[in-house]
Amino acid sequence: MKTDLNVNFAGIKLKNPVLTASGTFGYGYELADLISLNELGAIVTKTITLESCDGNLQPRIAEVESGILNTIGLQNIGVRAFIEGPLEKLSKIGVPVIVSVAGSSPSEYIETAEILSMKNGISAIELNLSCPNLKKRIICHDLRLVSEIVRGVKNVSKLPIIAKFSPLVTDIVEIVVVAQDSGVDGVTLANTYPAMAIDIETFKPKLSTFKGGVSGACIRPMSVRCVYDAYQSIKVPIIGCGGIMTGEDAIEFILAGATAVSVGSSSLVSPKNLIKIICEIKDILERKNIKSVKDIIGIVNKSLG
Amino acid sequence: MYKRVDKNYRIVYNKKVQSHYFELKIKVGDVYKSCSPGQFFMIGVPGVFLRRPFGICDADDGEGGCVSFLYKVVGKGTKILSNIKSGMLQLLGPLGKGYDLEPLVNIIVCDNDACDNSNNVIVAGGTGIASIHFLASRLKNKSTLYYGAKSESDLLYLDNFRKLGWKVVLSTEDGSKGYKGYITDILSKQLKKRDTLFACGPTPMLKEILEIARKKNVLGFASLEEKMACGLGNCQGCAVKINRQNKMICKDGPVFKVEDIEL
Repeated sequence: MKTDLNVNFAGIKLKNPVLTASGTFGYGYELADLISLNELGAIVTKTITLESCDGNLQPRIAEVESGILNTIGLQNIGVRAFIEGPLEKLSKIGVPVIVSVAGSSPSEYIETAEILSMKNGISAIELNLSCPNLKKRIICHDLRLVSEIVRGVKNVSKLPIIAKFSPLVTDIVEIVVVAQDSGVDGVTLANTYPAMAIDIETFKPKLSTFKGGVSGACIRPMSVRCVYDAYQSIKVPIIGCGGIMTGEDAIEFILAGATAVSVGSSSLVSPKNLIKIICEIKDILERKNIKSVKDIIGIVNKSLG
Repeated sequence: MYKRVDKNYRIVYNKKVQSHYFELKIKVGDVYKSCSPGQFFMIGVPGVFLRRPFGICDADDGEGGCVSFLYKVVGKGTKILSNIKSGMLQLLGPLGKGYDLEPLVNIIVCDNDACDNSNNVIVAGGTGIASIHFLASRLKNKSTLYYGAKSESDLLYLDNFRKLGWKVVLSTEDGSKGYKGYITDILSKQLKKRDTLFACGPTPMLKEILEIARKKNVLGFASLEEKMACGLGNCQGCAVKINRQNKMICKDGPVFKVEDIEL
């Protein structure tokens, strides 16, 4: 049986549930010579801010067991340069484009989202409410701020709004419910985990900012748990994210409740892994005679009654 | 524009050349033709998460097209790699922008007090010798190699450079071969204004070289390194300031003009 991989995420039609993860795929068009970009479910850009941002000092990357620790610090060219350059190339690829947005205050989020929403070629905005690499606090540690940003952005934008959260919150359910009540159209669970690694030769932290965010295969079970908990409490769809290396990993997130998944670290290892994951999802579901990937979203919850 | 390929290739050999140093030769077919000095490949090593960047040490048409890499066993990844003697490896490349092989200085009109020809001066520190080795075979004007290492057992490929026609100046930190001290000590005395500089080595050495080049108004190129995850510009891990702008070592470099680098 041929399995249908189409999903509808907050009104966006995706030909398959595999997305790039923000911050791991550049502005989205640069790898056209290495993989067929139009085979992807959607492209999520790296996070864009109102003004350009230099990012953090070196070193920014450290490898850990089965993962990567990073402190890039949202290096990007700023929303206006993004619109003039990358956006035009992105919109020609022929897959939905989701632009990741961050700011240092609610008004920056809102203004950036407003500027983007006036442009064609964008299918949704993903609010990065969770980057752990800004010197100030992580926004999603403050429920009032989350609500203020989501409501503010919804007021200025007709695009579907997705909120991406840090997994390091007291209660993931509480925060996704607040986001849903504030009008969000979907959530991404989850970003990297705050983490640290130390060089035992130099006795110094391996990152310039001492702490960073860890991603990769090592975080997957913890992020699957976030998706599972959130699915039981909200109606809006979930993008599962965290250490997806194979089709099996992606299906695990979908079974826990994700409508789509985003792949990051694995595509840094090789961009071809994105296409491999799509093929593997199809192979596994066909082997199990599943008619549509939609049929298995969140069914681990249902099987528990 | 790009001729980079992401593929499994066969190992021709992976052998110890000296103490902790290994040479890895991979059959890449026609891909060798698009390799230029200063470029690198990301190589997947089973058992570690990320691929590792390796500078191209040589590329030729032998056995239907091969690239070679020189590496020192320094950590878990290179340790595992050094034990793989045959089979396939995942390689992505060639990546990045290499050295400019056209002379930078010859076009300047000769004035009275500096009328000698421009010479190519190549400088290597430690495993920086890998990309300098490839470069040495492709530069037309062969003048002097300045090569510094910790000890005699860390000096590699000396015969190859001599056979190619390079004058070789050596230094070791322990004095076991050549000048005792840093290679930059000699370079600072011998580098001439009209020389074109090509350098690859550890960051402290490059900082020193940039200083020398600035003082003497010498033009040239240096190859930089930083930790990187993807080699393609996507992770933005290897950002460096070039002419006050953020550039990616993996994509915009690793080779930059000496006068533009801010280390």
